[in-house]
Amino acid sequence: MTENTSQQDPKTQVETARKAFEEEFEDFVRLGDYAEVLKLPLVEALLKRKEFEEFCRRYTGKKGTIASLKKLIGQSGPDKRAILGSQVQQLEKWISDRTNQVHYSLSAYIQQSQLERDRIDVTLPGRRPRRGHIHPITRLRERVEDIFVSLGYAIEDDREIETDFYNFDALNIPANHPARASQDTFYTTEGFALRSQTSTVQIHAMQRRGAPLRMIAPGRVFRRDTPDPTHNPMFFQVEGLCVDRGITMAHLKGTVAEFLRRMFGAQTVTRFRPSYFPFTEPSAEFDFSCFKCGGRGCRICKQSGWIELGGSGMVHPNVLRIAGVDPEIYSGFAFGLGIDRMCALMYGLDDIRLLFENDVRFLEQFD
Amino acid sequence: MLISYNWLRELTGTKLTPLELRERLTMVGLAIDSVDEKDGDSLLDVEVPSNRPDCLSHVGIAREVAVIEKSKVQSPNSKVAKTEGKASDFAAVEIEDTELCPRYAARVVRGVKLGPSPDWLEKRLDEIGQRPINNVADITNYVLHELGQPLHAFDLKKLAEQRIIVRRAKTGEKLTTLDGVERKLDPEMLVIADAARPVALAGIMGGLDSEISLSTVDVLIESAYFDPDSIRRTARKLGMDTEASKRFERGADCENVVNAQTRCVDLIGEIAGGLATEDAIDVYPRPQPVRSVTFRPERVESLTSLRVDAAEMDRILSALGFVSAAAAKDKAKTFVVPSWRVDVGLEEDLVEEIARHVGYERIGSELPPAAMAGEYQPAEIKRRSLRRALTALGFDEAINVSFIDAAHDEVFALAAVPQLSKHSSLVSLNNPIIEDATRMRPSLLPGLLQSLRHNFNQGTKDVRLFEMGRVFVGSEGNELPHESESLGLIASGGASEQDRAQATRELDFYDLKGALEAAIAAVNLPALVFTGAEVKHLRAGQAANISLADGTVIGSVGALSETISAGYKFRQRVYVAELNLTPLFEIAEHEIKYEPLPRYPSVVRDVTLLVGRNVGFTELVAGIESEEIDDYRGVKLVGTYEGQNIPGDKRSVTLRVEYRSDQRTLRDEEVEGRHRRLLDSLLKKFNAELH
Ligand SMILES: [Zn+2]
Repeated sequence: MTENTSQQDPKTQVETARKAFEEEFEDFVRLGDYAEVLKLPLVEALLKRKEFEEFCRRYTGKKGTIASLKKLIGQSGPDKRAILGSQVQQLEKWISDRTNQVHYSLSAYIQQSQLERDRIDVTLPGRRPRRGHIHPITRLRERVEDIFVSLGYAIEDDREIETDFYNFDALNIPANHPARASQDTFYTTEGFALRSQTSTVQIHAMQRRGAPLRMIAPGRVFRRDTPDPTHNPMFFQVEGLCVDRGITMAHLKGTVAEFLRRMFGAQTVTRFRPSYFPFTEPSAEFDFSCFKCGGRGCRICKQSGWIELGGSGMVHPNVLRIAGVDPEIYSGFAFGLGIDRMCALMYGLDDIRLLFENDVRFLEQFD
Repeated sequence: MLISYNWLRELTGTKLTPLELRERLTMVGLAIDSVDEKDGDSLLDVEVPSNRPDCLSHVGIAREVAVIEKSKVQSPNSKVAKTEGKASDFAAVEIEDTELCPRYAARVVRGVKLGPSPDWLEKRLDEIGQRPINNVADITNYVLHELGQPLHAFDLKKLAEQRIIVRRAKTGEKLTTLDGVERKLDPEMLVIADAARPVALAGIMGGLDSEISLSTVDVLIESAYFDPDSIRRTARKLGMDTEASKRFERGADCENVVNAQTRCVDLIGEIAGGLATEDAIDVYPRPQPVRSVTFRPERVESLTSLRVDAAEMDRILSALGFVSAAAAKDKAKTFVVPSWRVDVGLEEDLVEEIARHVGYERIGSELPPAAMAGEYQPAEIKRRSLRRALTALGFDEAINVSFIDAAHDEVFALAAVPQLSKHSSLVSLNNPIIEDATRMRPSLLPGLLQSLRHNFNQGTKDVRLFEMGRVFVGSEGNELPHESESLGLIASGGASEQDRAQATRELDFYDLKGALEAAIAAVNLPALVFTGAEVKHLRAGQAANISLADGTVIGSVGALSETISAGYKFRQRVYVAELNLTPLFEIAEHEIKYEPLPRYPSVVRDVTLLVGRNVGFTELVAGIESEEIDDYRGVKLVGTYEGQNIPGDKRSVTLRVEYRSDQRTLRDEEVEGRHRRLLDSLLKKFNAELH
């Protein structure tokens, strides 16, 4: 085409190019209509775009018709140069106006289709290994430890198999006390006791650290109970001890109440009532207002509004003396509660044997 | 213990309702489990603390109510109407063992007419859960629940020579008790005997042969005080727990013996007729000492923070029966303890008496002033990091009981318990509660295997569990057993992904090894060393010992042996590991050291070697490092291949070696030369071929 047109005068050449473009553009013009483009499958649209781009290049590319027409401008005489220049410019603009629409709709459609093709389901589960779970007892134990560390207590633990001295004598449990009987306490064939409370740790700690002292002892303890929905022969307990000058039952109440508020919520009310333990005098049991019903009465609190949780009291002078602390100078409070029991209450377990069955379906619930 | 509200009102004239009493008694230390209405009465189920046997009766509870209400107990006024003769005219009492029986009183009532009790008596006993029997038996039972003193009625005629001898049983003696059970006695046990044989188990239950019946005419009423420990031992030994033993073993009131007997004889006269003797044979060889306590009133405030004025303290103590004796020096007072309060012996006990009757609810509530910094146990942060590293890898935390079946003995290598030598043994329970669970676990693996089986049985096939806990082995001599802290892991099934139904691959040895490595990295400890080994409970060829850098073996990891697996009827591969944490937690954490970032690029070269299957990866690495090639910086595994095109005794291993200089960028030909030298020596050293 350029061969022939080169012979013509520039104005005619511009006109010829315009006509040729118009003729060829017939094939593409409908693609300026987005509704038309939408009818094409993606593959065909890609093909069309390729064809169209080639076609456009022939007119507007570096070696295209417009480029060669622009060369003619330079070659023509100064009088015609301005006219020809504007004619070529008009043609260029005219072509680009016409092609832009097709470009736009084809590209938009292709881009859209590719996005559609690559669209993912963002609601599918993320990719990660199955997560394991910390045992509910450990979770609670860690929480208890964190609370007391923040209150200035040291965490202690010691032996699980103990001498009678630490398990009973040092705790002021008389030689004939039923707890010492082999139907309540496990003994090894060598005659050592499996600790029946973590108070043993308190004695070791008092002997080692002396007074003043603030500590809690969370840990495994053993009592000869036949397993049933509310008993296990092994369970977890936490015992606390605070020995200093001037410690009173008010400090005991304040500490236990603070702990229970942090554990069960700010609205928790704690109640202390007289009780008996050989290692404390005066002794107190503590109940807390039912976290489920807030004290109105429900199944968990057996309609009383209160949940029994643990024992406490002022450390018995005999216990202080045995551990090398002078009860005339120092006084102290102690308290103890069951982590398993807390766990059963908190999560509403109806059978605490589940705690040591390690059924994955059980463990998975403590997320 | 059931307490009748109406009965209590007769004794105290209480103005409190049953529900108010529930609240008030609970707050002085007598917790009431329930209040039940029954036939116009209310029954309070009182939980009496084990140190308060004085509260095991209506008068006992009434004493507390009287202190609460500032009233007085109206004790029953006993006057025996018709009497004749001395008790010693009809019977004789002799205490052989005064240690176990410090006091014994016998009184006789002749010509009683046995029959059913009057309605009021039957109803009262029935309400508090006591089955009416006949009028005389019911009266002894009534007085027990009224005054707390157990009594027993013998048919006088059935006592050989009408003699009572309180003695230890003789070896081989037998006694059929009222419940019809024949009891074998031994000299540890105290009995009431007549001239011929035991007729009652002292303080626990009467004998069948001397029981009163409708044909009984003369009765001997026993009221005594027995040594609590003796009664407890005998009751435990014979597996008996009676209304009488419950009170004697906690401590009855030695000074109430005659009073209760008089009350009983009075009621017999009134209800069953007959003539009582004028007196009782009261043998009291060992009078119980009068106890007194020195009390400094200021101790109430220093222990409880309660400020109680002196008059209120005195009121409470005297209402409870404490008698103020002459004031000692320095404002301290001395109080005589009432005979029924066997629990009181110290100043602190009196502080409690005052505090509980002033009310614990009036004690303030405050935190002690801050005095020290909180601290975790030394290894606690490591334990927590270990747990989190393992849960992140999909392991659930298990907790198993510490006692296991002795059948697991000898099955597991106890690498986690280095103390176990030929001289030490496993720790056994003398009195297990779960059948066969007699051993204190020396390994966590039996527990984890049981948990795995449980999960398989529940249909869970992809299981990964870990446990941290103590394991035990015996010590030499009479020392306490060794306790060390162990970490156990078990894995079987697919490497499941969160929220996806199907695992993409099966777990294997390297999952467990990787978990251990991740756990150790999480606690910032030096890497563990894994060495192929024969381990008793592991499958040969898929077992490794785990050791510290210094060579100390602290555990093992591998596939569970076929034999053990078959024993559990496992149908899929199981991998287990156990690690002794105690020595691990003693090692210093590895120090973090900064090195300047490389200034020049490194060059890597891959090499694929065909080596014998007995050549381990760590051996290859050691071989490479020992060459000390210039600018060598490290080697990493790309992969291994066995199977098609590889001879059966060989394995193809692809390694990536890194070279880098700190002085300049290495030229290709420099690297080539070094790498060539490395290859040549490897080929020779491991008899390898390039692949
Ligand atoms: Zn409730």
